[in-house]
Amino acid sequence: MRVLAILPAFNEARSLPGVLAALRLAAPEVDPCVVDDGSTDGTAAVAAGLGATVLRIPVNLGIGGAVQAGYLHAREHGYEVAVQIDADGQHDPASLPGLLAPLRDGGADLVVGSRFLLDGGFRSTPLRRAGIRYLALCLRLRCGARVTDPTSGLRAAGRAAIQLFARRYPSDYPEPEAIALARRAGLRVVEVPVRMAERAHGRSSITWARSLYYLIKVSLALLLLPARERPVRPTR
Amino acid sequence: MSHPAVLPPELQVPSLVVLALFLAWVVRLIRSHRLSVRDSLLWLLTTALALVGTAFPSLLVGAAELVGVQVPANAVFGVGLLYLALNVLSVTLLASQSADRVRRLAQECALLRAELDAVRARLPPTPGPTPPPAPPRGP
Repeated sequence: MRVLAILPAFNEARSLPGVLAALRLAAPEVDPCVVDDGSTDGTAAVAAGLGATVLRIPVNLGIGGAVQAGYLHAREHGYEVAVQIDADGQHDPASLPGLLAPLRDGGADLVVGSRFLLDGGFRSTPLRRAGIRYLALCLRLRCGARVTDPTSGLRAAGRAAIQLFARRYPSDYPEPEAIALARRAGLRVVEVPVRMAERAHGRSSITWARSLYYLIKVSLALLLLPARERPVRPTR
Repeated sequence: MSHPAVLPPELQVPSLVVLALFLAWVVRLIRSHRLSVRDSLLWLLTTALALVGTAFPSLLVGAAELVGVQVPANAVFGVGLLYLALNVLSVTLLASQSADRVRRLAQECALLRAELDAVRARLPPTPGPTPPPAPPRGP
């Protein structure tokens, strides 16, 4: 099974070496692909020096555009699975085998890593957890997706999901919407437990004021979701 | 004329001049290729309509009566608001479309550069950061 790891990175030169080393240790067969989203701190050079494929986006597109570039690369090079991992050290590559297992035995098209199915690890603030629960409820009501951690950026996509996301991927705060898209396209979405850490360097891009925008934007996006997404099936 | 003048001439004439100047400006922008005809269509159409309405206010009065608006001035405001809203929406639409295209193009750039990196890595190593192509030598 050919697996591509998509690591969207915006000014993550400091945490990249650790993440890439951990990835190589946990899953040596996975090809790392760092998507440099217009960084100014030499992220691309660091990634290239460590032997990763680097997609240098000339302008800052935001997480949605960066991740989609990874999916486009996966589609173009015929990868069977694409795994999204944050480059800031929040996601432990050791959870990769668990994430890939449902794809390997054909039981899912999109696997989301949830930090709420296990005790321990970093679980965010109570306020944010409330927001996450609200989004999970929205997703369940709107498209029947049973997920506990819809904002998780640690996920693995099989062929059908790669095709879908390469064609269509939401732009800002895309994670919950992407699950909705997948469900609407008739893909099977499952969750597996993962452990997350607090980010090692820098600050989360999501501040308090933006959290509100996040909730409103995603709610609206889910509400206005197209009635039916054209289903995609893997092309062999 | 049973109606009092909707637009007294001292208001009508400056309005006509302003609208005509605006129209001329849009036309000039198109002719100097700073504005595409496609993007300006709505401005041209709506401004022309505003010109007609200003030149013949009785048309507006008629239209106001037709839809049952009591005060013609209110009809003017309503139409004016619609005019602005339509034009702003069309601009927002274009901005959205452009953002989508920029995103797609930036991604394509990134993919192509990665492809170039991969091809370069397969080539035999050459001295210097960017080797110039070998100049053709004569016999």
